[in-house]
Amino acid sequence: MRFRSLIAFTFAAALPAASALADVSGKDIYAKTCSVCHATGIASAPRYGHAGDWSPRLAGGSARLYANALKGTAKGMPPKGGNPAYSDAEIKAAVDHMLAAVKDAAKPATPPKPAAKDAEPKAAAPVAAAPAATPAPAAAPVATVATADALPAGDVNAFNRLLKPVGRRNPPPPEDGIHDPGNDGTHALLPPLTAYAGLPKSFAGNRVNWVEAIGTKKINPRWDRADPAAEPVVMDLNIVREVKGSMPDVVYPHKQHTEWLDCSNCHPAIFIPQKGANAISMASILLGEKCGVCHGKVAFPVSECRLCHSKKKDLARPAQTAAGAAK
Amino acid sequence: MLRRCGVVLAGLAALLSIFFIGVPDARAEYGDVVINNYSDASGMRPVVFPHLFHRIRFRCKVCHADIGFKFQAGGNEINMVKIIDGQFCGACHNGEIAWSVENCNLCHSAKPGTKTQVHESTIQKLAQPAAAAKKK
Repeated sequence: MRFRSLIAFTFAAALPAASALADVSGKDIYAKTCSVCHATGIASAPRYGHAGDWSPRLAGGSARLYANALKGTAKGMPPKGGNPAYSDAEIKAAVDHMLAAVKDAAKPATPPKPAAKDAEPKAAAPVAAAPAATPAPAAAPVATVATADALPAGDVNAFNRLLKPVGRRNPPPPEDGIHDPGNDGTHALLPPLTAYAGLPKSFAGNRVNWVEAIGTKKINPRWDRADPAAEPVVMDLNIVREVKGSMPDVVYPHKQHTEWLDCSNCHPAIFIPQKGANAISMASILLGEKCGVCHGKVAFPVSECRLCHSKKKDLARPAQTAAGAAK
Repeated sequence: MLRRCGVVLAGLAALLSIFFIGVPDARAEYGDVVINNYSDASGMRPVVFPHLFHRIRFRCKVCHADIGFKFQAGGNEINMVKIIDGQFCGACHNGEIAWSVENCNLCHSAKPGTKTQVHESTIQKLAQPAAAAKKK
């Protein structure tokens, strides 16, 4: 199934050669407006080129699809894709453009390229950028982007959902899948990699070692909203939590936390300030409780086991005493 | 037999899609918070709060203790009246400490329909296994 959708994409990318002249307006509208949702399937929108998404909707006939596109649906399709400036004919042309992609998907004519990815704003952009150009060259950038860039999340290292492939780390706002590339403000935002220039690196999260960054004075974030000179009250107290099995014990350092946080952020709502009073499990952390209130959301994620589980147990000693008892 | 398997699989996929559709395959920066309490309903793009740019400039305590942001995406019921009144974002985004609220599109910059969530968070990934959502 996925294979077929890959075919759909490669073919859809190569297709404009045939239909571009008649389809320029519909394609432009798709690239500018529809693709915001229909490229990735936001709000359960049928995805461009995914025949499986479209077939149940096509059962009601294309007239029904036109009507839904023009008037919107309760499921989340806004009338005219949220842009009332489009004429009815333009919206219909955009629907036709999307339908053409899935109709052709049924009869694949080209062999699937290995790394065709989901159509996303980035992939749609080169097509939109050159609507007047001859169709064949316009299709070429799509294919190169597809092979050079990252694969969708399901394809690479799907066994480890916390591990991000290289091409998908720290994307600039217009390409990050969340920001709207059609918004002028999006392009004014600082790309993460620019902001992180010169900061020490880590292997997860933002891939910035924030503790080292603040420790080595690479950054000096304010402790007070208005007073740049205010200094935190740092408390240097390690709490050791013994854990089951052979996993190293957890050392919780107050020092690194009080560099950033106030006591009241954690105590007493999240952690009762008494040793042994807090039942913590990895399950609750993964679900966003206890340490998981920050770790896994904004502080380093739980894939970095040894940053917390850092005190090695002396496993050799019990074995020795057992051997000694046997003598 | 194969056919029955296919039917069962299709049913499963349909069931899964009910649970997982609507959560897009997002790739925003780790820690980015999308806030869509009222935006969509008001015809604005949802807000993307970039945690990490703020982290470079302010320690967690400033917002989460002094200003009073709860540790919960969408849990603060922020609206523009409160912001202009100097609460929440407005404590700094007032034209004195940081740029002021006239720059609507710098915050209201998410794709319409994006749900309130912390992007790339473990909880989000547990709720939306990418592979399962793609199986269709």
